[in-house]
This record gives sequence, C-alpha cells and structure tokens, in this order.
Amino acid sequence: MRTKLGLLACAVAAATAVTACSSAASSGTSPSAGDGLSAPAAGALDGKGETDITFWHAMTGTNGETLKKLTDQFNAANQGKIKVTLAFKNNYDDTLSAYKNALKGGELPDLLQVYDIGTQFMIDSKATVPAQSFIDVDKYDVSDIQPNIAGYYSIGGKLYSMPFNTSMPLLYINKDAFTKAGLDPNKPPTTLDEIKADAQKLTVKDASGNTTQYGFGASLYGWFLEQWTAVAGAQYCNPDNGRNGRATEANFASDNNVKLLNWWKDMVGSGLALKLDSDTKNGDSAFVAGKDAITLESTGSLGDFTKAGFQVGTGFYPKINASDAAGPIIGGASLWIVGKGKDDAHKRAAWEFVKFLETKDSQATWHTSTGYFPVSKGALDTAVDKQWVANKPQFQTAITQLQSTKVTTATQGCLFGVMPQVRKAAESAMQAAVLQGKDAKQALTDAAASLTQPIKDYNDSVK
Amino acid sequence: MSRLNRPGPATSAFTYIWLVVAAVVLLFPVLLTALGGFLPSIDLLRQPPNLLGHYTVASYVGALQQTVVPLLPAFGNSLFVGLVIMIAHLVTSCLAAYALVFLRTPLRTPLFWLFLATIMVPYEAIVVPNALFVRSLGIGDSRFALVLPFLANGFGVFLLRQAFRQFPSELRDAATIDGCGHFRFLFTILLPGCRPAIAALAVWSFLQGWNMYFWPLIISSTNNSLNTLQTAVFALRSNDSADPGLLLAGITITLLPTLLLVLFGQRWLVRGFTAGAVK
Amino acid sequence: MSRDDLSTERDVSAMSTVSNTTFTERPPDGPVTLTDSGSVSPSVISRWNPRELLLTMLFLAPAVAGLGAFVIFPLFQAVYLATMGSDILGNPTRFVGLQHFAELLTPDFGAVLLRTAGFTLIVVVAGVVLPMALAVPLSQRLPGMRVFRTLFTLPFAYSASAASVVWLLMLNPAMSPVNWLLQLAGVSAPGWTTDSGWALVTVAGVTVWMVSGFNLLVLAAGLAGLDEQVLEAARIDGATGVRNFTSIVLPMISPSLFFVIVTTTLTALQSLGQPQVMTDGGPNGATSTLVYSIFNQAFHNNNSNYGLASAQGLVLLIVGVLLAAVQFGVIERRVHYR
Repeated sequence: MRTKLGLLACAVAAATAVTACSSAASSGTSPSAGDGLSAPAAGALDGKGETDITFWHAMTGTNGETLKKLTDQFNAANQGKIKVTLAFKNNYDDTLSAYKNALKGGELPDLLQVYDIGTQFMIDSKATVPAQSFIDVDKYDVSDIQPNIAGYYSIGGKLYSMPFNTSMPLLYINKDAFTKAGLDPNKPPTTLDEIKADAQKLTVKDASGNTTQYGFGASLYGWFLEQWTAVAGAQYCNPDNGRNGRATEANFASDNNVKLLNWWKDMVGSGLALKLDSDTKNGDSAFVAGKDAITLESTGSLGDFTKAGFQVGTGFYPKINASDAAGPIIGGASLWIVGKGKDDAHKRAAWEFVKFLETKDSQATWHTSTGYFPVSKGALDTAVDKQWVANKPQFQTAITQLQSTKVTTATQGCLFGVMPQVRKAAESAMQAAVLQGKDAKQALTDAAASLTQPIKDYNDSVK
Repeated sequence: MSRLNRPGPATSAFTYIWLVVAAVVLLFPVLLTALGGFLPSIDLLRQPPNLLGHYTVASYVGALQQTVVPLLPAFGNSLFVGLVIMIAHLVTSCLAAYALVFLRTPLRTPLFWLFLATIMVPYEAIVVPNALFVRSLGIGDSRFALVLPFLANGFGVFLLRQAFRQFPSELRDAATIDGCGHFRFLFTILLPGCRPAIAALAVWSFLQGWNMYFWPLIISSTNNSLNTLQTAVFALRSNDSADPGLLLAGITITLLPTLLLVLFGQRWLVRGFTAGAVK
Repeated sequence: MSRDDLSTERDVSAMSTVSNTTFTERPPDGPVTLTDSGSVSPSVISRWNPRELLLTMLFLAPAVAGLGAFVIFPLFQAVYLATMGSDILGNPTRFVGLQHFAELLTPDFGAVLLRTAGFTLIVVVAGVVLPMALAVPLSQRLPGMRVFRTLFTLPFAYSASAASVVWLLMLNPAMSPVNWLLQLAGVSAPGWTTDSGWALVTVAGVTVWMVSGFNLLVLAAGLAGLDEQVLEAARIDGATGVRNFTSIVLPMISPSLFFVIVTTTLTALQSLGQPQVMTDGGPNGATSTLVYSIFNQAFHNNNSNYGLASAQGLVLLIVGVLLAAVQFGVIERRVHYR
C-alpha cells in the first residue's frame, strides 16, 4: 500500500512540477480545473454559490483571536460567496506535518500559514499556486507591501507567498535600570562592546554576592544568529543566501560569528549575562521579572514587555562590529494558496481572503492588536495605527529600522529547503559554545558540517 | 521499626516531618497550578512568586473566552475520546486477559509476548501509517477517527493478566466444580472479584485518552471540530511570549476532571492494585 | 490509610493458602510464570477442547484485531520504511537497504542510547525508591495518612506537557521558587535546563515526579495488602528494621514492586513530552533521548526522515523487548504471587 501511495505521489509531483514551471507564463489563460497550479481568472467564483475554504494556521492567544475577528469580518462581507473556516494546527511545525501528511492522501487545506524558514520547502512541495501568479492575473498593486517584507518571500523576482504575520528583532532595555545605573535610558547600546560596557554598570549583586540583576540576557535562539549575520551584511549560506540558485552550505564559522559567540561566552562567564537556554519564553520572563536589563526579542514581544513594572526602551538590533551597516531580516510567516486538487473557485476564494488580510485596514487591526509589523505601508498611516504607535513609541524604532534596511541578499535572508534544521543546528552551536564551553569556532564548524549531508540529500531529491 | 502497627512517638514525629517536607516539595507545583491561574503575571514573575497577590479571574475568563479552539466542544471531544477508549480497553483487555489466564490458549506465551511487545512500540513510529490507514477508511473527519487506533491496548491486557493471575485458584476450582461455565465465571465471579483492577485500568485508560494530542491534529484536516482540550491549551499560549497565569488557568481546566478522578477514584485505584483483592 | 478499605483484602489473603515457610522461594502451589503451560488446576479442564478453542479465539479476537491493525501492521510498514529513503514529503521513494541502520552506528547515536539508558535508570530508580520511601511510612497506623496518600498521588493527573510547563515555571530563572529556597539555604541554583550536566537530571526529575503518584498508589496498595499474621510471626522470630523490610516486606509486595518497575521502565523509555517541552533536546542535544530523536527525525523542524526515524523506532522496540525479557525472565521468577 505504501509503495503505491509513494509512486502515486511521485507521479503527481512530477506532473505538477511541469505545471508549476509554466504557470507564470500561462497565468490567466489556463483555467484548467484539477491540479493546475496557476491562478484562475477573477470570474472563477461567479455562479458557484458559496465556496467554503479552510485555512490552517498556528496563531495562538491574542494573535489567534485577532485572526478570528478578521475572518469573521471577511465572512460577513462575503456572505453567500465565500466562507473561510479556520483550523488551528498548534504550531508551525505541526502545521507542516499535517500538510505533508495531507499531501499523501488526505484533504488539503485551501490556504495555510507557513513560517519564513519553510519557504523553500513550500516551493519544492509543488502543490501551491505562487502568489505572483494571482498578482499577474489581477494586475494587483504590490507597491503597498513593504519591500523588505516582500523581499524575503520573493525568489527570482517572483513573490511565492503573501507575507502575513511579520516580525523583526529589536534590542530591548529596562529604562529604569539604566537610569539607576547612571546610564542614559535614551541611548541603548548598539554594538557588542557597548552592551558589555553598559552591562558592567547594570549588573547588580546583593550583600551575599548573588546577582540580582544581570546586565544582559538573551535566549540562545537560532534566529538571532541569522540576524547578527544580516546586520553585518554577510551571507548566512553560500552561495548568495540561496537567492540565486540553491544554497549548498551553511556559512556558520565566519569570523563574525566566532567573535559573537566568544563575546557571549565571556559575558556569561564573567557574570554580566544571565545564562539562558533557547526557549524565548524563558528569556522573556527573565526580562519582565527584571532579572536582566538588556535583551533581544522580536517586535511581537513589545506588548507583553510594556506590561512589566518598568519603563521599556528599544533600540536597533545590535551590531557585532561598529562598522556593520546592513540591517536585520524580517521573520514570521506567510500565506500559501494550495493548488493541488483544488478547483478554480477554491483557489480564487483563498486569494480573495488573502487580499483582504493584506489590506491596510486589516493590517492596521492586525498590527495594533498583535504587535506584528504591518505588511502594508498604508497601514502605518491609518488613524488607528498612528494612535497605537503614539502610545507605544518604542515601536517607532522598528519602523525606522525596517525603512533604513536596504534589500540585499544578506537582508533577504538565507533560503534552504532544510532551513528549520539549519536554524536548529545554529542553536546547538550557540548552546555548545555558551552553555557547554566548547570552542566557538569548533562548535560552529561542527554544526555546519552536520548539515552537509541533509542539505545534499534535500537538494538531490528535488533536482 | 515496626510496620503496620501503631509506632512509637519518636517514629511518628519522624514520619510526620518527612511527610510534610516531601509534601511541600512534591505538591508545590500543584499549588502553583491551582493558584497561578488566579494571579496576574506581575505577581507570578517574581522570585519567589507572590501567591498571595492580586487575585483575579481574568485568566480564567480569558481562557474560557478564547475562540481559536473553543473550549466547550473541545471538552466534549476529550470526554468522548476518554470514555470510548476507556470502555474499549476494558472490553478488549478483559477478554484477552481471560483467554491468557483461564483458557487453554494455544501459543499462550508468544501471544503474551506479542501483547507486551505492542506496549514497547513507539507511537511516533506508527502514527503516520495509521493516519494513512484511517484516512483510507474514509472516516477521517468523524469522531470515530479519533479513537479507532486506540481501542485495544497491550498494557490493559498486561494489567488484567496480572490481576487475574492473582485470583485465588481455589475460587476458580470451586466454580468449575460447581459447573460454572466460562461466561458465568467471568461475569459473575471474576469481574466482580477483580473490580478494583478493572477500575484501575478504567482510570488509566481514561487518562490516556484524555491526554492525547498529536493524533487529533494529524487526523483532522478540515476544521477544528475534532480538536481536544489539550490542543485548546496550546492555543492559549501566545506566540511570542507567555503569560503564565493564562497558561496555568488553561492547564487547571484540563486538569480538573483528571484531578477529580485521581482524588475520588483513589479508593478504587488502591484496591485495584491491592494484591489478591477478592470480595 | 483507611483500614476499612483494606480489611477485606487482608482477610482474604489470610484465608488463602500462602506459604509461610520462606518467602524468597516460590510458595508450594507455585506462581504462574510465563513458562508455565497451565494456569489453574489442569485436571479440571481437558486439553484442546474445540468449544474452548473457539471461545479462546473469540476472546482474543478484539484485542488481536485492534493491536494487529494499528500497532503490528504499521510496525511492518516501519520495517519497510526503515529500508527506504524518502523525498522531502516523507514518501518512500528509493530503496536504501541497511543504510539507515548503518547511520545508527555513529558516536552520536551511541550518545543517544547512553543518554536514554541514563535517563531510564534515573527515572526507574528514583521513581521507585521515592514512592517507596513515602509508601512505607504511610502504611503505619497514624492519623492523617490517608490525606497524605491522596495528596501524593495528585501528580498522576498531569499530562506530560502540563507537568513540563508547570515545572518550567518552577525552574524558570525569573521566578523559580526552587532557586529561591536554595538561595535561602546558601546554595546557588544550577542551570536546570542550561547546564548540560543538569538538563538530563532535570528532565528525568520531572518524569520521576510524574510517575511518583501512580507508583505510590500501587506500592501503598501492595503494603496495605500485606498479611499481618505473617508479619507478626516474623516479628516473633525477631526480624526487625531493615531486615524485616528487605527479607519479609519486599518479597511480599514483590508483585506490586515488579509491576511498578515494568511500567516505570516503559514510561521512561517513551517519555517525549518532557524533553520536547522543557529543553527541546538541548542544550546541544544533552537531553536528546531515543524517543526524542525519533520525533525529531520524523516530525520536528520540518524533518520527515521517516526511514531513519523508523530504524530508530525499531531500535527502541528491541531495547524495550530486551528489557522486558530481562524483567520477566529474571525478576518475575523472584516475584511472589499468591
């Protein structure tokens, strides 16, 4: 049974691969029902009655509630025409597990939310309709989408998925602690050296020698290593961050990364930084509890941080060297429209919903309720958004940071089919160096080496 | 040191000190779970957490109001899964254990080993083939799909085999001499006699079903209607940070039925695991 | 402990023919062990009665069908998958023979096995000793014992993920009441989840906490079912203290003890929620046990290396069966069933 299924899936994949290649050229003219991975024309929904579509997502807490609110709004406006049903899939990993499982013979969703690092995999899964295909058919105006955000999901000038929940890393400081330490709370540190200098003043010990407040404390999260690399304008993987042809190796053991990890080891070793694991929830609560005064986190944490019992300040994501001049990569997730086994009406309905989520009003609601960065430039100009930013001036840092970051292959971020594994390997290297005391260069080299085979296997299997 | 007798005052004092220390250490997490849901993060995120802080029901209201995975239907699903799996385990395990202990089963030993081996099979290794199989039956989106692969259980067979084997053979012999057939012996003498063990298995099986979470996710494709309470708790976690109060409130809600079961099913459990329990 | 609950059982056990000569040997009527072909009074039931054979089939059918279809059949698929390489979606696309098993012959996988062994050892030893250290004092006739017993069983209600989340908060450097207590005692807290030496112990400790409730229940029940006449006789013979415990009490509760050891071993071998939620296998793989490794290969980080995961799953199966064989073959012979 397994063999048959496998062969079937192979055949389908092979067949769809051909369609996917031709989809951009033939878009709009091939209204074929079935497995076509090209965008249907605008009239696909006409005379179809109500089209029900399913959207798999991994949005929890407030984010999930806001998504529900927006979806209800869309369903109300499209009564009798389109009805979107949300299906919560726990987290990004589980969403992809369910997607892969469904590709083997289950019911696929019409739309799914996939994390940034799943982008290359989604393209290779060859079951989705590239957003570009719809954009071309509809002559959809993409100038409202923040170019840095679209940049991540564009490969070869083609936008594959529509960015949705988007975040960026920031440096957060406890302003009260800065003031108490005699530092200027409006001047957050910008480089490793400055963080260290500030941390020396911010670290507080009690009478018995226990540290009550560490100067610095950040989770050993693999995403952060990608960010440091991008800020330095360096490529995270070779060649060209996988943006021009497939990447073949992870570029972990760069001088910059070695310098960074040695600095981090030294910070922890000399008692200036709190020892944290890779779980950002632990890092978040340590900062909120005042255990450390400087931390790194995504923009999404701003809401929770401002509820802490102290003034929170933000700064640009720090640089390894003072001369680093590029900026961070956007993270988050994007929306993929499934084409395999879907008729034109379903594909069209999914696209209509995506377009709704991208509008400046939806994005303003999304941004102000969740703290994610708005995808739409126009969202920042809406009244509701302006007021929100006025209340949370810390967010202005993120806007400025994004706008001052040029789109290059470095700031677009690395593309790998096995990117989730790559991030995990980077995390292991960070843990090995900072927590286990392994030599930084060795840890990074070993982690990169452990990826050689998986990268090759993946690249070979999608040739 | 004498056992099962009233001990002397020194031993008593030592006993109480040890038990109180152990209780504080082992039960603090339970206390934190129970109280944390009523506390804002400002009380929780300090060292030590202030358990006498600003009590509020905001976290519970938030947990009950969340709409990503509505709690009530999820609760219903969890209950369905727990109960169906419990009943199925009881039936399949009782019959199989009976055959293993009281019937002249051919290949008894290999069969028992087979049952035992199924306990060792890592769930992760078989979940994907199972999902494909259940889908191919065309029931992928019904509640039945949630429980189908879990109707029989090697551990249940093992547990009841151990219990049945401790059933006094005199009673079995007496029943046989009285002309009591297998069915009558099973239903009128053995099962009532092993009621505690059955109850213990019931509690265990219910907990297994109740705590399941990866399978519902893999098997349900179109909507949320098959989500269980465990998934609902997942939905309470915020993507980028955690409000411990909300999480603890959610955990308490999922724990409530199982805590009650452990508290009030305790009597049955103790008797279930008491050697040679016969009424 | 309530005497009402348990008096019946003790009466019955006093009634039954328990050998009171020596308890480390089998009693005369003999425990039913795996190798025994008969169960009860073979003289009463004739061999290979066709009606009984039919009944046997009928009784075994539901369990065998259920387990056959959803455990054993997929297992054969797993064997097949273990010899296949998969594409990016996890479809088996090419035969690779024993390559996945060869991939297991690495120091990395050796470390995984070693870690699993360490984890299992900690969980089984501590997960049996701790409940025993509670169950024994609880078996005394003292007021309040029943309340204590009830409280100690509460962790049994927690699912792996719930227990892990709560313990993460207990050990979170920002709020840890545990660290606070240690600090009061003048001890600086270790990096529970960050220190690679500690992480495995932490994860094992949470597992011990989780199993302690259930194990306490079983052991307390075993102690409550002790034949008091025998204990009394032993006491007259002068058996006291530790000797009383190891030579008389332990053998008498050996069925409970055996049951607890077997189930705890299983729980330990298959613990996934704890390393997954608490450490995600880290730091740098320090808590990556066999079952975590399987999960990681098959589902985590968008992996779908079902071939390697299946090969590892088979290793886990073999380890489990071997341990069971040891436990049933060696320990159960020493178990004193009535």
